[in-house]
Amino acid sequence: MPKRLVFVCSSILVLALAAACGGGDTSGLPPAPAGSAAGGAGTFDMSKATATVSGKIAFEGAVPAPAKIQMSADPFCAQSATPETSVSEEIKVSDGGLENVIVYVKAAPAGLTFATPAEPKVINQKGCHYTPHVFTMMVNQPLEVQNSDMTLHNIHVWAVTNTPVNIGQAVQGMKNNVKLDKEEIPVPIRCDVHRWMNSFTGVFSHPFHTVSGGGGSYELKLPPGTYEIVAWHEKLGMKSQMVVVADNDKKDLGFSFAAGATAD
Amino acid sequence: MSRHFLEGGSIGLHRFALFTSFCTAFLIFVGGLVTSTESGLSVPDWPLSYGMFFPPMVGGIFYEHGHRMVATFVGLLTVILTVWTCMTEKRAWVRWLSVAAFIAVVTQGILGGLTVIYLLPTAISMTHACLAQTFFCLVVSLALFTSPGWKNGLPSVTDNSAGIGLPALCGLTTAAIYLQLILGALMRHTDSGLAIPDFPLAFGRIIPPFNSPNIAIHFAHRLGATIVTGAIIWTFSRIAREFRNYRGLFRPAFAMFSLVFVQLTLGALTVLTAKSVIPTTAHVATGAIILGTSLVLTLRAFAMSGREWKPGAKRERDSAKPKPKGAAIRYMITARERAWR
Repeated sequence: MPKRLVFVCSSILVLALAAACGGGDTSGLPPAPAGSAAGGAGTFDMSKATATVSGKIAFEGAVPAPAKIQMSADPFCAQSATPETSVSEEIKVSDGGLENVIVYVKAAPAGLTFATPAEPKVINQKGCHYTPHVFTMMVNQPLEVQNSDMTLHNIHVWAVTNTPVNIGQAVQGMKNNVKLDKEEIPVPIRCDVHRWMNSFTGVFSHPFHTVSGGGGSYELKLPPGTYEIVAWHEKLGMKSQMVVVADNDKKDLGFSFAAGATAD
Repeated sequence: MSRHFLEGGSIGLHRFALFTSFCTAFLIFVGGLVTSTESGLSVPDWPLSYGMFFPPMVGGIFYEHGHRMVATFVGLLTVILTVWTCMTEKRAWVRWLSVAAFIAVVTQGILGGLTVIYLLPTAISMTHACLAQTFFCLVVSLALFTSPGWKNGLPSVTDNSAGIGLPALCGLTTAAIYLQLILGALMRHTDSGLAIPDFPLAFGRIIPPFNSPNIAIHFAHRLGATIVTGAIIWTFSRIAREFRNYRGLFRPAFAMFSLVFVQLTLGALTVLTAKSVIPTTAHVATGAIILGTSLVLTLRAFAMSGREWKPGAKRERDSAKPKPKGAAIRYMITARERAWR
């Protein structure tokens, strides 16, 4: 018994000394993993991504009228609705181009590691509407969820590969941070209180991704190489094309989605 | 509350059990609404709701918190029913049945909480759905066992059938309905409700291509519906032919027979309206009511054939009497039975 006591005490002492002495600046924290927010040696320098792949996501066929959202389930939502927030963003077309399409490189160049941005991606609930509707982020990048409404929301991250999250935000001004630590495309985000509220994100292990904006335009900065570029839309599915780029190349790569197609 | 009042209130206990059964059926409807409106996770915490006892009843919270409120009320009714039964009921097995109902309702509440906390895992959600039906069966049984008709004794009948006996037929029908409700729960909680999008055919065929487990689950539920409908028609036709004058058997059999067609219509509407909230929820609630009706019928059939589970009780069935030849079923009507009729 005394031997065991001496062993336990000395073990605690050794651990305490190790914790006190080790680490220096990192204060005993484990070394930053490759691709972490801290960046550091070995991570890819984005200034070397000199090739540009850009284009337009065209929408073929008659543009459907945006579906009107019925918000009467919550008087606050009904009162705070604006013309922008009271219609569905499922299919948003401007100048013949499809917005809210996630465009990304299917596989980043082998052997590269990437720094995770320290600044959080922000998704705001305002007027019972998610802003932005579609966004991309990197693995382990903080996701800040804000409630700007004077009503309750729940943020339900319907992840499959990542751990699903369901958080309640009962008070205006609440903020919560969500962490997604695995690559997953797409991850639906939904409010179960207000069923019309939905959003999508793509979580990537590399920085070569974007979302098409006004006119369906997008732009990716890439290092030289051969890539499969994928375009994903929540309603119209997925398309991909191969592209080869050298340093300072500028390639135009268009996609087109037809009305009536459905997502896989 | 004096003991005299409680003893004098045995009819009151029956009525209370009946009221609890109705409230439980309503609770199943409200629970169905939660699934149909996909509001199950609109309140992300449990046992409180957004840290409150009563959050604003907006959007999906109306359904989810409403379900919690009705469930709490039914839980309270069950506590009262159990205490009342244990204090006044002389039959030990009825007292134990009420304790089982109490345990079931507590377990059901915990399962509901786990469903929320673990974000609707299929296994827990399904167990929650199946236990709901089991609990409903328990309170319906309590309402039946505490009824004056049961306590005074049901008419005794002798089943001289060469084939399957009426109690066994009713029992098999009830078991088939219960299994069908489990399949229904599996279909709802695996999101297989529209895996086959057309009706009455399946992808334009009688047997669909089994490309996914969801199609198999959905088709199994349709197959189950066919079997259950067949079993109910068989049971009803048997009772209508042989027991038309026994209202204790004929009424539930007729109700079950009528409801199964309502249920088939609701099932079809669920598919054809792409899981519209009202037909989908009504389909769940009607399923529970059919189960309850079939259970009452089964218990009465057992009791009337002298096979009531009553430890130490003398079987009323006179099995020693020779079976009349040339008739499949004959029933020996006693004086008490005539009075009851």
